[in-house]
Amino acid sequence: MTAAPILVFENVVKRYGALTALAGVSLTLHRGEVVCLIGPSGSGKSTLLRCANALDPLDQGRISFDGHEVRSSEASVRLVRQRMGMVFQNFELFPHLTVLRNVTIGPTTVLKLGQAEADARARKLLAKVGLADKETSHPSALSGGQQQRVAIARALAMEPALMLFDEPTSALDPETIGEVLSVMKTLADEGMTMLVVTHEMDFARRVANRVAVFDKGRVIEEGTPQEIFTAPKVPRTRDFLSHLGWHGESK
Amino acid sequence: MDINLTPILTSWPFLLKALGMTIFVSVMSTALGFVIGTLVGALRTYGGRMTNVMLGFYVDSMRAIPLLVILVWTFFAFPLLIGASINAVTAGIAGLGLHLGAYVSETIRAGLTSVRRNQMQAALALGMSRFQAIRTIILPQAIIRMLPALGSLFVIAIKDSAIASVIAVPELLRQTQIVAGKTFRPFELYTAAMLAYFILCYPVARGVDRLYRRFSHLGSS
Repeated sequence: MTAAPILVFENVVKRYGALTALAGVSLTLHRGEVVCLIGPSGSGKSTLLRCANALDPLDQGRISFDGHEVRSSEASVRLVRQRMGMVFQNFELFPHLTVLRNVTIGPTTVLKLGQAEADARARKLLAKVGLADKETSHPSALSGGQQQRVAIARALAMEPALMLFDEPTSALDPETIGEVLSVMKTLADEGMTMLVVTHEMDFARRVANRVAVFDKGRVIEEGTPQEIFTAPKVPRTRDFLSHLGWHGESK
Repeated sequence: MDINLTPILTSWPFLLKALGMTIFVSVMSTALGFVIGTLVGALRTYGGRMTNVMLGFYVDSMRAIPLLVILVWTFFAFPLLIGASINAVTAGIAGLGLHLGAYVSETIRAGLTSVRRNQMQAALALGMSRFQAIRTIILPQAIIRMLPALGSLFVIAIKDSAIASVIAVPELLRQTQIVAGKTFRPFELYTAAMLAYFILCYPVARGVDRLYRRFSHLGSS
């Protein structure tokens, strides 16, 4: 990969009391790259995302974004967060706002964009995620898949340099997972830099440039989807994949 | 017992003005109470430990002192402390508002803490400051969730405005007392006052209820 690194984790350690969620993770994400984080629940994947935009403070190590260290000083963290979109497992749309307002509130509140300009930007993004007709609805009137697509539009409205996805399809009904994954695939094809925590192995295999396998707060294996899914070197990776019903090359 | 409605018919402009004062005092003290309550509730929820302790003392003392005593103190004792007199209406609004603020703050605090933690995280992830997140995301949801409780407090504020009659605020109960004393028709006048309070408060209670049923879905994340 010749592109410049945009997000670099160096020996990141995060503890919650006696529990070590991240036990020294180093990982580099380059511009335009899609990296999927896979591994068993509780292995630290989501924690790594939350540390990336400083929703959780680090205990040790260093994270740098676009050449600048992500520190916990309020002002610098806010600048970093503006440029990093985040999509949550449970959508976390704002229930008291319409779909359109959910998408515009970031630009108008944080970027101080005019309402008309923000509306235009939001409409374009809602059309992109296939929800142009829902702008006056409230989140409670939408299906899970629709809510998650709005959440993606909300994050994109900040025109981020990087998108973080925290198990974006784990809370969805099986029939709506596809619509969310296809939006994510489109983003990837357009060259968006993405860090995706997922249990969707098929998505990881088809869309990711690289896959990092987590176990007990460490990256135990990292490589191209080809390497990870067809010839995993680490026994724990093989074990994890086979528990998901993945037996080497398939489909 | 014979009923004589003449005193009401002759003094209705006087009583209507008094009703207007009741509404004015209620609305102003509610506004003051809601502003104080929202600030105190938010500061106790998101501020530091010291802030919480200090404002907790305000809330507990307002809850521990009878409203009647607060009003009497504000009107008769507080002016001696500052060396200037304040008029009854101002004292009444201030006393009622300060008292109400304590209860509003507890309601707001309950509402704020009930909003899922991840809503704050989602707002912060957009780059908002905590203040922006509270103002635009968390507080509106908290208020929607707490509408029934806040509505009850508004109704209580209207009813409690009658207590301000003891410091001679010319509101409905006070002026009714005056007319009843002059005409010796307490039954007719106090019954009319009771009906007036009911007619004032009942639609407010019902209205808040309808408002909540209409908007409750907007408060559940």
